[in-house]
Amino acid sequence: MSYEVMVGNKAAATAVKLAKVQVASAFPITPQTTITQYLSEMYAAGEWDFDFVNVEGELTSQVVVQAASKVGARTFTCTSGPGLLYMHHPMQVTGSSRLPVVMAVVHRGYKGMQPDHSDLMSQQWTGWGHQYVEHAQEILDSLLMAYKVAEDARVRIPIAVGYDGYVLSYTAEPVEIPDQGDVDKWLPPYKPMPSVLPDEVDPSTFSRGWGGGDPQMPWKIHHEAVLKIEEVLKETMDSFEKTFGRRYGNGMIEPYKMEDAECAIIAMGTIAGTCKAAVDKMQAEGKKVGLIKLRSFIPFPVNDFQAWTKKLDGFAVVDRSICPGKGGPVFGKLRDSLYDLEKKPVTLQFHAGLGGKEVRVHDFEMIGDKILKAAKGGTVEQVTWV
Amino acid sequence: MSERITRAQIPMSELTITPGSACQGCGAALAARLAFKALGPNVIRHGIPCCPDSVTQTPRVGTVFEGGGAQLTGTSRALKAIGREDVLAVGFYGDGGTYDIGFQGLSAAAERNENIIVITKDNEAYMNTGNQRSGATPKYARTSTNPIGPRSRGKPRPKKNIPFIFAAHYVPYVGTASVGFPEDLIAKVTYMKTIKGFRMLIVQSPCPVGWRFDPAKTIEIARASVQSGIWPLYEIMDGKTFKLNYKPKELKPVTEYLSPQARFRHMTEDEIADIQETATANWENLLKADEMGRLTL
Repeated sequence: MSYEVMVGNKAAATAVKLAKVQVASAFPITPQTTITQYLSEMYAAGEWDFDFVNVEGELTSQVVVQAASKVGARTFTCTSGPGLLYMHHPMQVTGSSRLPVVMAVVHRGYKGMQPDHSDLMSQQWTGWGHQYVEHAQEILDSLLMAYKVAEDARVRIPIAVGYDGYVLSYTAEPVEIPDQGDVDKWLPPYKPMPSVLPDEVDPSTFSRGWGGGDPQMPWKIHHEAVLKIEEVLKETMDSFEKTFGRRYGNGMIEPYKMEDAECAIIAMGTIAGTCKAAVDKMQAEGKKVGLIKLRSFIPFPVNDFQAWTKKLDGFAVVDRSICPGKGGPVFGKLRDSLYDLEKKPVTLQFHAGLGGKEVRVHDFEMIGDKILKAAKGGTVEQVTWV
Repeated sequence: MSERITRAQIPMSELTITPGSACQGCGAALAARLAFKALGPNVIRHGIPCCPDSVTQTPRVGTVFEGGGAQLTGTSRALKAIGREDVLAVGFYGDGGTYDIGFQGLSAAAERNENIIVITKDNEAYMNTGNQRSGATPKYARTSTNPIGPRSRGKPRPKKNIPFIFAAHYVPYVGTASVGFPEDLIAKVTYMKTIKGFRMLIVQSPCPVGWRFDPAKTIEIARASVQSGIWPLYEIMDGKTFKLNYKPKELKPVTEYLSPQARFRHMTEDEIADIQETATANWENLLKADEMGRLTL
């Protein structure tokens, strides 16, 4: 292995190289732009059999990788905010076609250019796995794991790995780069299923596709395949640690200093890192609050949160996106996950970091104080705009 | 450029499963039947929403309406990546997927000179949804969104010159064809298979339902279109080499093409004269280009 100080976008491009992606396609958009430049440089250097298609828009980049994945190439694409919204239409085809495309989403809000999670959150219905990561090392590692999970025969679902623009995309951190030989042994070559080559195709797979059968069945199969990500991601996290010596919780969540905690703050992305500093400070002051970093929003770690509920009295959910008129998506999904339990912890909703608004250590201290007070029966408003 | 063939040289093999979803007299179904005879079996057929969705014995993949150029790009790049460049990536699209909603992606694929074949069955309106106007609808044609009334004389603007637009991307091959001239169509597809890069064939495909004519007259109308200079048959190589493939000594009057179609029934003499003038002037330009063997785009 080797070390390099690199920005988040370079970590993403490095993962593309380590995974020996065969066909990548992207359209530049701030703050994802430099990935397209790194990929173009990799193509020019010709270090491995790699094709990079510089296209005229995000919709095209999504369809290019979709078709290439169908035919038999390992693929990568990446975008940000408005570019992701422009991809929405073909993304649902990639999901429905069960194509293991991997995409980096460099978060950019769509009210302004600073990062929040509204871009990827807006794509919940496209049938992809959605993950959120905290730092440059986790970008590289998560993208590598995304290939392993997406291409697993039990899953065959595209995965989007989201990371905050600017804070990660353009900020340099030391990153450990795994050896190519170790990655090659750990990540087997990609095979499409089923094949669409004329001499290999099963004629029953290319009928017109409508008429006959239960029209609801494809949704059920799709839903169950996305849920399978949980099991395969947990396995993959174990094998990743065994090979490369790092892990991020169980893949679905990453608890931080939760051993003696009575309450948990739930956060995603870079602000989970800020929260870690706040937890250190609060625990030093004797406050029993920890962090559960949410890594996989889709599928949602229902089982993990139900298990944690046995030990905890309160959850403070920090949502970095909002569906106007409906609320924070993580808060809604967490409460839904806990509804059937006999013991229902206190849950508080915090709207934070929208439009790229800074979320600081003292903000998380305020969040920690509120959830501790509420868990002890104190009166606290349920929704707070941080 | 393509080499003339005789009717006896048209392959006997049938790769389309007829009738698919086509109506009686469907020009586009015939375009599929002819084109796939020439393409052969080693093809992945790419579909996007269009009318009719032909059925072939080759694998079919599909994507979103606007994704035609992109999916051919992805397939072609992946075939190269896995060492299967022997397989042809063929898009069989309608005029909406070529002239309109699919234009951006196809234009970009042409500009990148992707190694792909695009065959457009041009039936001059959105026939899949019931004859709404498209960028391929000719001037004065009545469609379900260009009704005739005090404020509307059918479509107010001419059809986009899409073959020239794609030729102006300086791609290896752009041709026009007609289901009324099967030898020419087959010869062009056969030639396209011998070269690499972006290749496009626009096939005028009469639609009895949308154009409103007797389904028995599909071939007659397709031939009258070519013979009157409304839809000339030509090919453009690299955006410069030009060849007219069918040159009658004298053009038929455009009324032979317009009169049998109820979509043009409302046209006045002045309006017909407008179409005649345009067709004649265009034909003269094409004859000049053919004489020089080149275009200046």
